[in-house]
Amino acid sequence: MSDFDAEVIVIGSGPAGVSAALPLVEAGRRVLMIDAASDTEALGGPWQRKLGAHLESLTPDDGLSPKLRTPEARRTIGAFKRQGQDKEEDFVTTGSLARGGLSRIWGAFVSEFDDDDMSGWPLTAAELKPSYRAVVERIGVSGSSDDHMADFYGRCGPLLPPPPLDPTAASILGHYAGRKPEAGFALGLARNALLTIAREQRQACELAFGCLWGCEQGAIYDARQDIARLRRHMESFALRDRTTAVRLTRTAKGWEVATASGERSLRAPRLVIAAGTLGSLRLIAPLLDPLPPLRLLNSPVMAMPLLVLRRLGSEPPAQGYALAQLGFRLICSQARGDYVTGGLYAVSGLPPSSFAARLPFGRRAATDIFRALAPALTVATVYFPGHYSANQVTIRQSGAGPRIHIRGGVTDQFPQIADSVRQRLKKIWRRLGAHALPGAALATAGTDAHLGGLFPMGAPQPYGTSRFGELNAAPGLHLVDGSVLPSVPAKFTTLTIMANADRIGRHLAGAA
Amino acid sequence: MAPRLVLTGASGYIGSRLIARAQQRGCEVVALGSAGATGEFAPALSAVPWRLGETPTITALVGATAVLHLAHDWGSDRRDGTGPGNANLVGTEVLARTAREAGVPRFVFASTTSARPQALNAYGRIKHATEERLRALAGGEDHILCARVGLVYGGPERGQYRLLARLASLPLLPMIGIDREVQPIHLDEVCDGLLTLALDPPAARRTVVLAGSHPLSFGAWLRMLRRSRHGRHLALLPMPTGLALAACRLSSVIPFVPTIERERVLGLAGTAPMDSAADLAALGLVLRDPARALTNCRPARRRLIAECAALLRYAAGAPVRSPGAIIRLARIVRHDPAFRHALPWPTVRWPALLRFIEPVRPAMHHGLARRLHLAAMVAETLEPPLRQPRLGTIVAQVALEALALPFRLLLSGLGA
Repeated sequence: MSDFDAEVIVIGSGPAGVSAALPLVEAGRRVLMIDAASDTEALGGPWQRKLGAHLESLTPDDGLSPKLRTPEARRTIGAFKRQGQDKEEDFVTTGSLARGGLSRIWGAFVSEFDDDDMSGWPLTAAELKPSYRAVVERIGVSGSSDDHMADFYGRCGPLLPPPPLDPTAASILGHYAGRKPEAGFALGLARNALLTIAREQRQACELAFGCLWGCEQGAIYDARQDIARLRRHMESFALRDRTTAVRLTRTAKGWEVATASGERSLRAPRLVIAAGTLGSLRLIAPLLDPLPPLRLLNSPVMAMPLLVLRRLGSEPPAQGYALAQLGFRLICSQARGDYVTGGLYAVSGLPPSSFAARLPFGRRAATDIFRALAPALTVATVYFPGHYSANQVTIRQSGAGPRIHIRGGVTDQFPQIADSVRQRLKKIWRRLGAHALPGAALATAGTDAHLGGLFPMGAPQPYGTSRFGELNAAPGLHLVDGSVLPSVPAKFTTLTIMANADRIGRHLAGAA
Repeated sequence: MAPRLVLTGASGYIGSRLIARAQQRGCEVVALGSAGATGEFAPALSAVPWRLGETPTITALVGATAVLHLAHDWGSDRRDGTGPGNANLVGTEVLARTAREAGVPRFVFASTTSARPQALNAYGRIKHATEERLRALAGGEDHILCARVGLVYGGPERGQYRLLARLASLPLLPMIGIDREVQPIHLDEVCDGLLTLALDPPAARRTVVLAGSHPLSFGAWLRMLRRSRHGRHLALLPMPTGLALAACRLSSVIPFVPTIERERVLGLAGTAPMDSAADLAALGLVLRDPARALTNCRPARRRLIAECAALLRYAAGAPVRSPGAIIRLARIVRHDPAFRHALPWPTVRWPALLRFIEPVRPAMHHGLARRLHLAAMVAETLEPPLRQPRLGTIVAQVALEALALPFRLLLSGLGA
C-alpha cells in the first residue's frame, strides 16, 4: 500500500470522511483514507453486548447517559478520550477514533437544513440538495412524507416505509391528529436512517430493541457500511488501518501526514480532514499557532420523561426499536431558526437500571415500579438552537501536542428560554395525554455531540474556511466534518455534515 | 542448560511454593531432606536424603547454581537453646561449607526480620547467630546471601499464616503485641525474591530484607485478615505478654488442653520493622496490596459468591439460576475498592431483608447501593427476561417501602 500514490488523503472513517471520499473515488480520484482503528470484533453474545466481553460496562452508575455507558459506546469513544490531553469544564468531550466514528452510536435521526437554518452560510440550501439526495439514497431513510413534520425534515430522496410505531407513541400521535395543534407546534413520525427493507449487505430492522448496544442487522446506518462500498473501488481507494495522524505539514507539493506509528509520512497534494469536530481541532490547532479562543457551538439538549396515563397497565410491546418514534418542532420566536425540535423515545429499549437508580425508592421497589410503569412511559428529547450555547475553546501549544481546554456554557438568556419551552411543552404534552414527570434535565454540553462552528465556512479569519471547507491559513487542506458548520440549528446535524462533505468531495473530484 | 537449585525445607510453607515457582521459571530443583516429606509436594522433584546437621553428599551439590537453605529445626531450638550445639547453627555452617567445596556459586539463607541478638524468641536469636557465622565464613565475598523474610501470608494455609488465619476467624481475640509493627509479604513475592537472589542477585547486597515496605501494627494486620477473609470486624483485647506466658505455662501443665508454644508467643511479641524498600526495588519486586491479595482465599471467595447470589436474587426479584451471572457480578464486586464490608449474614440467607438496610438516598459511594446497581445491570441480561410486574405491584412496593423506611434510616450503615 505504501506505493499507493494518493491524490487526496482523507483522515477519518466516520460519516463525513466516507461521504467526502465516495464522490472522489467514483470520479476515479485516488483516495487514501487513514483510520486510527481497524475493522472491529464481533459484538458477542447477549450479555457481552450489554456488559462487555470484559465486563467493562458493569460499573456503578456515574451519571453518564445510558447510551454512553454501553460497551459499544466505550469502543467508539474510549480511545479518543484516552488520546487527548483535553481539559473540560462543564463539558463532556465526545469524539471517536473507532472505525465508523460516532455513527456507531448515533441516534440516526436525520433532517435537512433549510435556508433559515443556513443563515450566515456562504451557500444556500438549494446547493446542498443534490448532496442531500445522494446521501439519503445511499444510507436509507425511513419515515413519512405526508405528515406535519415532512416539510420540516425535508423532501430530498426517497423514503422507506416507517417501522411500526410503539403503542405509547401511537397513542400520543393519535391524540395529536384529533386536535387542533397549538400554533408553532408540529408532531409527526421521526425520520431515521433505519432500513425497513433489506438492501445490499444490510438487513431490515428486526425490532429486537437492540439499538443501544449496536445494531446486529446493520439496519441502522453507520459509516462502516460505506467503507465496504468504498473498498469496491480497488484501484482508486486504499485504507490504512491503525494509523493515527498526529502532525500535518505543508510541503511544496502539498501535504505530509506524520502518523503515531512513526512510519514514513504519507503525502498527497490535498488533505481532507474528517476526524470529527474535536478530533479535527486536535489536528488543526498546531497549524494555527497562535489561535485565539474559539467559539464551539452545540445544541443544548433537555430530556423530559412523560407518562401516558391511558397506557398504564398495558403489556410492554414485544417488539420495537430504541430510536426516536416521533419527532416534533416548537417555534420559540419569530427570529430565523429560533425553534426547538426533538424526538419521543420508547423506554422499552432502554436499561431499567439506569432509571431505577434515580427513583427515590429502594432498588427492588424502584425496579418494579419503573418496569410496571414502562409501557406507559416515553422520553422526549428537546434540542435548542446552537446560538444559545456559549462554549469556549482555548488552546495552549506544548511539545506533546496541543492542550485543549473546553469550557461549556450557555448564553445568559438560555435558562429563561429553556424554562419557558419546558412549560409550553408540558402543556402541549398534557393536551396530547402525556404528563410530564419530574426529572426533566439538561444534559452537560458535549454529551450529545451536535457540535460545530469551530472553523466556520465563510469566516475571513485564518481559522475560517472557504465554502469548500478549505482552511484560510492552509490551502489544500479541507475540513469536511461538523467543525465547518457556520451555525448549529436545533435540528440533527449528521445528515447535513454528510451532505456538505459530499458536496466538497464532488467539488474536489472536479478540481483536484 | 536449565539452572539447578538445591533446596532445603522443601516440604515447608515457603519451600513447597518455591519449588513450583522455580519449576515455572524452568529451573531443575533438587530437594535435600527426608524423602517422605519432599516427595508428596512435587512429584517431578529429585530428592536427596539429608538431615540438618549432617554433611550432604557432595555429588548432590556439584553443578548447582545455588543452594537455598530454608529448613529450620524447631526441635533443636527447644532442646539445645541458642548454645553452640544447636543443629540450625551447626547444620547451616556445614551445608554452606560443603556447597562452597562443591563449587556452588551461591548460598541463600532464609533468615527473618526478627533476627536480632536480643530477640525475645530463640528463633530470632538463632537466625541472627547463624547469619553471623555465615558472614564469618564468607569472609569478604558475595557468595553467601541472607534474606530476612517478613510476615508471610497467602497461598495454602500453612505455617504461621494458618495460625493467624485461624485466629482471625474469631470475633474477639485476646492478643499480645498488637502494637508491634509487622511487615507482611505475599508468599509468591518471597519465593520470587529468593529465586532472584539464587539466580541473578543484585550486586553488593549480602543481606536483603524480604518484607512489606509499609509496616503496620500486628493488630491492624489481624483486623485486615478478618476483614478480607470474612468481611467482618475483629475486636482485639490487648493482653500483657506476662499473662500470655503464664497461660503458656499453664497450658503445658493442665492435661487435655492443647499446649501453646512459648516460642510462638514470644515471636509475636518481639518484632521490629526493618527498612525493605531499597532491597525490594533492587530485586525488582513490586508488592501487591495485602488487603486486596487476601481476598483471594477460599472463605473470602465463598462469601463473595453467596453475597452476589443474594444481591442478584434481590435485584431480579426471583431466584437466579445462572451461575455465570453470579460469577460476572462477583468478578466486578471483588475488584471494587468500595466493597470492604460484608453483607450481614441474615441478608445473605434471606435477600428480601436487604430492603431494610438499603441507604435512603441511593448514592453511588454507598457500598450496598453500588452493589445493588451492578446486580440490577446483571439481572437485565438474564435469560429468560424478568417477568413484567403488574400495576398492583406499585401499590405493594410503595407499602413495603413505607414499612422499611424507619429501618433504612437506622440500619443503612450495615451495608455501607
